[in-house]
Amino acid sequence: MHEYAVTKSLVELCDREAHRHKIKNVRLIKLKLGKFTGFSPEAINFYFEYLKDGTRCATAKIEFFEIPVRIRCPNCNYEDDIEEPIFLCPECGNVNIEVISGREFYIESIEGE
Amino acid sequence: MKKISILKPVLVSNQERAKENRKFFDKTNSLVLNIIGSPGSGKTSVIERVVKDLKSSYQILVIEGDIKGSIDSERLSKLKIDTIQINTLTECHLDAFMTAQVLPQIKKPYDLVLVENVGNLVCPAEFEIGEDYKVAILSTPEGDDKPLKYPLLFHLARVVIINKVDLLPYLDFNIKRARENIKGKNPKAIIFEVSASTGEGFEGLIDFLKKELTKRK
Repeated sequence: MHEYAVTKSLVELCDREAHRHKIKNVRLIKLKLGKFTGFSPEAINFYFEYLKDGTRCATAKIEFFEIPVRIRCPNCNYEDDIEEPIFLCPECGNVNIEVISGREFYIESIEGE
Repeated sequence: MKKISILKPVLVSNQERAKENRKFFDKTNSLVLNIIGSPGSGKTSVIERVVKDLKSSYQILVIEGDIKGSIDSERLSKLKIDTIQINTLTECHLDAFMTAQVLPQIKKPYDLVLVENVGNLVCPAEFEIGEDYKVAILSTPEGDDKPLKYPLLFHLARVVIINKVDLLPYLDFNIKRARENIKGKNPKAIIFEVSASTGEGFEGLIDFLKKELTKRK
């Protein structure tokens, strides 16, 4: 349900960027979405369909690119993508793991004319 | 057809607003805790205990986030402390903008600002409001598997309070397993086991908060 607010931000941001770059009709929005966020592409699409009306994104589609959760251990330099969010170094057991990626939620690009 | 590289986070405006809120609270060295838990996990009851124990030595403000109504803020104002109610109406969480809207109501410096978020383990975790850190409340009837089902909150929360430990004899809740599940998502989590109805376990939590408040002085 919280996708409503973020989709509204998404539409506003795309509309503003399109205006800034003199794009009247945005056709495609490429969105990067980390696996370790609580946002669902389905819900974003659902709200997008009605929030986009009357904006420069009215005919746009969203393409989602999933970003895996990647951890790094500063102790032994182990680095890998993880499927399950468990934050313990599988090599040396260090608990001070850095989460390098997985919480992203950003617009990579917009396309249009 | 033009292709424009944007590379901007969608929540940028919330994060920026959260930083502004943070600056507001930093001016008065306030410790701001964003308290998150399920409906019925005992967020308000835990806050009541904390307020009772600390209000003689510290200035405390409670900001109550609820979809509708002011039941909780009325309950807390009985303790003779300042409260502010935010009604989120359609939203299932507090965000930095809703928090910013009530900042003008804050007229004096507070040592401790307790923000009770909307009862929900999912959405509130995503939105910073300008807090020092998040405090997750997990009550024993919810089950010890919740950190596995809602990993983001338990990963981000610096403090996890396991509430309603007085009910353990009647439940299939395993404290050791709960701790392992929390530590699996957040090895550095500081965990307290309490019962807001009996008062059990609050000494540790209160000591911790006093130390945190002293650090800010």
